[in-house]
Amino acid sequence: MKNRKLLWHSRFAPWLFLLPTIIGLLVFRLIPIVWAFVLSFTQWSLLGSPNFVGLSNFIEAFNTEAFLQTFSNTIEFSLIYVVGSIIFGLFLAVLINIKIKSIAFFRAVIYLPVVTSAVAVGIVWNWILGPNIGLVHSILANLNITAPYWLGDPKLALTTVASVQVWKMAGYSMILFLSGLQGISAETLEAAIVDGASKVQRFFRITLPMLSPTVFFVLTVSIIDSFKNFELIYAMTKGGPQNSTNTLVYDVYLNAFVYYRVGYASAVAFVLLVFVGVLTLLNFYIKRHWAQPLE
Amino acid sequence: MKKLLLAMMVILTISISSVFAGGQSEETQAKEDENIVLEWWTWDADLKEKNQEIIAAYEEKHPNVTINNTIVSTKEYWTKIRILANQNKLPDVFTMSSSTLEEWAENGLVLELDSYIDSDNTREIFYPKLLDAVKDVSATDHYYALPFALVTTTLFYNKDAFDEAGLEYPNDDWTWDDFRSAAKKLTVDKDNDGTIDQYGYWFYGRYAHVEPWVYANGGSLLNHDTMRFEPDAAALEALEMLTDLVLVDKSAPTQKDMSSVRQQDVFPLEMAAMWTDGSWNINNNRLVADPSLNWGIAKIPTGPSTDNPITYAWADSYSIAPNTKHPQEAWEFTKYVAGEGLSLDMYLVGKIPSFKALTESDAFADPNQKPAEMYILKEQADSEMTTSFTKGWSEWRGYGAAESLGLNGLIDGVINGEMSLDEALTKGTNSINTVLARYYK
Repeated sequence: MKNRKLLWHSRFAPWLFLLPTIIGLLVFRLIPIVWAFVLSFTQWSLLGSPNFVGLSNFIEAFNTEAFLQTFSNTIEFSLIYVVGSIIFGLFLAVLINIKIKSIAFFRAVIYLPVVTSAVAVGIVWNWILGPNIGLVHSILANLNITAPYWLGDPKLALTTVASVQVWKMAGYSMILFLSGLQGISAETLEAAIVDGASKVQRFFRITLPMLSPTVFFVLTVSIIDSFKNFELIYAMTKGGPQNSTNTLVYDVYLNAFVYYRVGYASAVAFVLLVFVGVLTLLNFYIKRHWAQPLE
Repeated sequence: MKKLLLAMMVILTISISSVFAGGQSEETQAKEDENIVLEWWTWDADLKEKNQEIIAAYEEKHPNVTINNTIVSTKEYWTKIRILANQNKLPDVFTMSSSTLEEWAENGLVLELDSYIDSDNTREIFYPKLLDAVKDVSATDHYYALPFALVTTTLFYNKDAFDEAGLEYPNDDWTWDDFRSAAKKLTVDKDNDGTIDQYGYWFYGRYAHVEPWVYANGGSLLNHDTMRFEPDAAALEALEMLTDLVLVDKSAPTQKDMSSVRQQDVFPLEMAAMWTDGSWNINNNRLVADPSLNWGIAKIPTGPSTDNPITYAWADSYSIAPNTKHPQEAWEFTKYVAGEGLSLDMYLVGKIPSFKALTESDAFADPNQKPAEMYILKEQADSEMTTSFTKGWSEWRGYGAAESLGLNGLIDGVINGEMSLDEALTKGTNSINTVLARYYK
């Protein structure tokens, strides 16, 4: 009888344990998201109170040439990043998927840029790619080649920054691919060797198909990652030259914390949210219809 | 029975302690009435200890006042203080920039200081021209901030390079033609490898690089009646002269050629023999330049379209919260931290104190330090001045994190050869006026 008396609160106990997480999630994530959605219909400079302006922030965004360019920059950056980190990551993984002495050291070195601050990476690459005094410029000059303005040419700058992001993050996809590669049974590969399959055939006919769940996972992760490019752009180009490296996240920052157009910045953030949402749905669709592990 | 006793004891304990607590809070209330606490916000982290010295000295003179100094770095300062303004929790005294005062005054977030300034000796101990310069940036007829430092823009020049080229140093009679021909002669390929090692001049779209020339020619980028981007003939002449240095004379580099060097280091590293920027760069020049390098400062040469050049300069100031509980005490402290309480070592060299006694002291121009022409700063502080700030300025001008955008980005595009000046101006008129129209109906 006594025990049952004490049981009255057992229904609430799990909630009690969940409470810190729920409060954190509400205060730092969900409420700000809802609040930002409300703000996207207002004009607000942080001073005074927000003015409701209906859809005008969204209308303004899609009627501004610079915003449309920013939007297409974002897509271009993501494409370069996603394709780059899959190919480069896979290449590195295959390269180091061997058993030699101190391979762990090489793995750690390749992984190092992933944990390095993006601002530091940006500054160092600015020096490497810098005109006249940069390392790349000097090497090319010795070969009698005039180096282009990697970051100063509007046609090149976005590709350059996205490539540096690929360089920085390739170690991450490498680790993912490496675990995938090590899951492929040696017997299958040995059987292929016995059957006389060449190295190239083995890679494209066996390794790659068996990796497809990993490829899908890396694809998903790098699509999400590809929108997190603020720090590198801030450190390397500040959105220039001529708006050519301005992306949606950088535009949100500029509008919110430099121009203090909080309403407009929220609208841009929600355009990004919808865009990422659509991509995620697409991802799930692909997963259901394509990326099934081979039986 | 035991339970009842326990409950009674608990109630008794609580009520007794609350009575005491009540008494205590009344006591502290009384103390607070005697002791006035002022919150003071600044953005220069290097001055943390100096600020404590100021506070200690002030509190000694005013035993009933306690000052709390909060330092927030410039990058976060405006976001944080805007949120405080929104919550009606502004610190009593806080640093104010010339670029934001107009917006703050318009929103009623700064205390009007007219009656305070008129009722004491403020006009005698501070430079009245500086007080008025800050009144002008508020776009009202009232004083909303008390300046503590002025920065102007000057022409930095490498004396060694001038000597080597056999040129006379810039002087007040220098014309733009003199400047252009000097820049050409100062452009040299020292090791004959086909690349220029020292440019005569250098600039990019940055406000402190371009606007000084516009105002030295009596021009204006904006039509101040309509508050729209509409560069007048004198301003166009300045823009043309500057961009021609790169495109025609080849005596200045493109923006992209200098992009891997911190902008403030190009001149002290002797990559360019002349440069225009804010006077606070004197400090960086002293730190970065080879100690043996001879360099000086001069006024921006007067343009061909005017006899009355205007100095491009702006002030950093203190403002007082409109809802401060102690306006008189806040004013007394503001006057102290903008003047008497300061010493020259609290200024970045090249910033000009608005407090006359400091600027006019001998220590202001240290004869053992470069540049030898520190008196020019004093002359500039006493000349006709203007700023270029408007609401939405950092967006249309392209400043800070937006530096590669706005007008800055367009001028860079011209000197980088991506578009002509006409194209840039057409593009700029469109996009800049969209921004300005948001703030000025």
